[in-house]
Amino acid sequence: MKLPLKSYDTNQQLFFAYHYLHDWWNPWNVKWFTGFSQTTYPPLPQQWTAILAHIVGLQYAYMLVQFVAILLLAVGMYRFAAIWVNERAASFASLAVVLLGSESFLIYNAGQLATTWEAALYVLALPYLYEWLRYGGWRPFVKAVVLFAATCSAHDVIIIFGTAFFTFPLIALAIMEREQGEEKTTGGAVVARAVAVAIIAAAAIAIVLLPYWIDLFRYPVTQTPIPHASRANYLLTPFWGTNYFLIPWGALMLALPFIVWRGAHVRRLVPLMLGFWACFLVGLGGTTPVALWLLHRAFYVLTFERVAYWAELLSLPILGLLCSELVARFRMKAVVPLVVLAAITCGLPIAWANYQPTNSINLDVGPVAEWLNRGGHDNYRYFTLGFGNNISRLSIETNANTVDGEWYSDRRLPELMKYGGGSLDNSKYFVPGGLDALRAILHHADRYGLKWVFVHDPWYDPLLHFAGWRQVDQLEYGAIQVWSKEAVPPAHPMVFGVKPPAWQGIMWGILPVGSSILAFLLVFIPDKRRQIGASEDVGATDETIVPERMAS
Amino acid sequence: MRGAVLAIGIGIVTVVLVAIGTIWPIPSAIYFAGSGNGNVLRAPSAPEDAIQNLGIRIRLHQLPAAYNSLANKAEFTESDFDQDVTGFYTSLRTQATLESVDAQPLHQSDDQADMRVRFHWITVLGPYDDTRDIQVVRNGNRWQVDWPLVRRPSVPAQVIPVNYLRWDVIYSGSTDEWGSQNVAGPNVRIVDMRPVNRAEGVYVLGELLNNDVVPAWVDVRATLVGKDGNILGREDSFDMISHRLLPKQVTPFRIHFPNVDLSQVASIRMHPESILISASADPVVEILNQKYNVQPIASLTGQLSDQSGQTVNFAHVLSTFYDSNGNVVWVSDRYIGRALLPQSPVDFTVAVPEDLARKISSERTIVATYSPKGVEL
Repeated sequence: MKLPLKSYDTNQQLFFAYHYLHDWWNPWNVKWFTGFSQTTYPPLPQQWTAILAHIVGLQYAYMLVQFVAILLLAVGMYRFAAIWVNERAASFASLAVVLLGSESFLIYNAGQLATTWEAALYVLALPYLYEWLRYGGWRPFVKAVVLFAATCSAHDVIIIFGTAFFTFPLIALAIMEREQGEEKTTGGAVVARAVAVAIIAAAAIAIVLLPYWIDLFRYPVTQTPIPHASRANYLLTPFWGTNYFLIPWGALMLALPFIVWRGAHVRRLVPLMLGFWACFLVGLGGTTPVALWLLHRAFYVLTFERVAYWAELLSLPILGLLCSELVARFRMKAVVPLVVLAAITCGLPIAWANYQPTNSINLDVGPVAEWLNRGGHDNYRYFTLGFGNNISRLSIETNANTVDGEWYSDRRLPELMKYGGGSLDNSKYFVPGGLDALRAILHHADRYGLKWVFVHDPWYDPLLHFAGWRQVDQLEYGAIQVWSKEAVPPAHPMVFGVKPPAWQGIMWGILPVGSSILAFLLVFIPDKRRQIGASEDVGATDETIVPERMAS
Repeated sequence: MRGAVLAIGIGIVTVVLVAIGTIWPIPSAIYFAGSGNGNVLRAPSAPEDAIQNLGIRIRLHQLPAAYNSLANKAEFTESDFDQDVTGFYTSLRTQATLESVDAQPLHQSDDQADMRVRFHWITVLGPYDDTRDIQVVRNGNRWQVDWPLVRRPSVPAQVIPVNYLRWDVIYSGSTDEWGSQNVAGPNVRIVDMRPVNRAEGVYVLGELLNNDVVPAWVDVRATLVGKDGNILGREDSFDMISHRLLPKQVTPFRIHFPNVDLSQVASIRMHPESILISASADPVVEILNQKYNVQPIASLTGQLSDQSGQTVNFAHVLSTFYDSNGNVVWVSDRYIGRALLPQSPVDFTVAVPEDLARKISSERTIVATYSPKGVEL
């Protein structure tokens, strides 16, 4: 039941939500990195988690918010797929998205709540965008703009890096079919509408996330890139190939030839297939040089499991078509294997998460939190070694502040920015950058009021010993060692970067969550009834239409 | 027809791009594929390839594959090879990650090559190098490494009496009082101190004496004060000191202030710290055959011999170098890669900056040790 709570980033999402739960209007969080601004991370899912936590508690709120994302995605995928294929195929696409390997991977393994939310809101926006491009009218325009703003409130990556894969095919389709139907348009009008919606949506996004852009403009990503295995070549490193390709794609791999073949043969599906193909290539990370060619330095900032996820979303309309045709033609003989394959695809990442757990450290951080919270220990800063993603959980439970943290984009401590390691907690996995950062921060313990190191991995003991730290206590029957340094002055407030002023806190507390509420309200405004999607026979190409396939 | 061309074209381009990415991997792909110096596994058609392949397999901890690639694997077991590579006991070597391998040919014929191979390891205590002369032999079209196995030292069974001093401390307070012991710290004294200006900043060198009759945990902090009275920096000796000092024992220390020039400094405030600890004089590590070399590379060489019956897992050599007037000229250090086994000497080399080499007329070396144990209260 609580499987999503074991995924890698879940605790970090809960940590952010916890802050909103207790201090909605002040995005400055002193618990990590001596202080950082949560305006560096679009807040929508965490804020909704915080709101629902008042009713059901933090963990169930997280699960509920994740569940809502899945429901929204199913609705959005149906409407998005209906642009390209018939309604029956779109229904299959909608069903498939719930069982998608990448979706399952992100929920049960990576814990990327923001990614699933941004995708859900984005695909909800795309049909309105298409309707606006093709027919104009204020209703689809407003709905698309507000949904794009809400998307960015959840996460900005799909808007910045994914737009080309999703919207260019829609623009191309609108131009290709400008003469069809009763309401005709021109190519110039489509382009003009695309430019108009881009400008207005950009302005809306700029306003809704203004504190985020201010911070990003002030502190562009300058820290040394942190290695991420989604940038590996999946053939040269089969383990990462399994983790980032075989597991998330699952049985969908079997449909890839069909997706390309059918996408290439049906004229109106060609833009979608090309968008999918480009996204697929980028989603392969370091397996091809394409992502590096296209993204340059951004390649070393992005992680590519989400791009593979987008590619899977883009493939679903054509996959829906395949399922629709197979079921129409073979009935139960197709339904059974499809259900089995879908179940395997959905279940594989869950099984993988248990076989290769990302959060394999089963640790009760309660005693550590209690230890820090008593006797004035929280007058000093601390960090952990070998706690895995439990550091977010510990940060929730303790009053003490750490120099470490899991949100790397807004850490401003020079020791952490310079070397290219992840968190100090798992520095041994980032050789040599992580270890250099660890040595540097230990070297400057006095500067940060850093007096405690909690060690759950004796691998680090020699460094602490020779650097002048002493074991002073042990917790959890010796599983956790407490190391201390003498004569360290108490921690004092330190601000690296700039604290967001009060007005930004108010904006941050109102506009992102407000944009989502507005979007949900606007969606209830009735649409003008149009046949914006494909006609019933789009599934078959001119060359492949046969009577059996048309039967349903 | 056009659809078929497009689909087939997409398939071909995809395959070509994957092939490009695999044959000429991008840097991030190389990083994860196993090599820090820009290599991935390749057919061992040259001696260097065989060495690099072995290095990559060791880096990725694919030791069975590394063992199977050896030409002389029949001469020892896979376990022998594992222990040679990763250390026989817990030590720096067991925790090290091989970052890169540099091979220099010494001699090569059609069927055999002698290479000098430098293995560059990254450890929790910093990088260290291990250089071995390795023979690579040709076997058909393949080159294979003839691994020069270092066997585990064998010490005859014996009893070693322990009669070293030991100091235990009983605290009166609760377990929470470790932060403030309510006991006066042992009397420690800086017996020598000297700032040195170098390209990488200012170094404060010196020696600290435990002038008390009880053991101490020590540290030295220094504050540089500028000519305008501002603080230029505050640093501590970090690992360039032996933190555990027995009574009357002296440790060198070295404190580094990067990006500071000595001409900016008006004064230096020294802050020696000490607290009382339990300690034992055991284990004793003796330094044998100590020799200072000016040529070809300025260094201090010698051997460490564990005189006790315990294994010393981690050893840190700290050397103080003096000029002819007895002033401290430099403090240098070296961590030992392997555990020190009883009565099994291990070589060490401590590097000295070339520009200081001719100023040095004497040296003194101490060894700090660490072996995992319980809480030291």
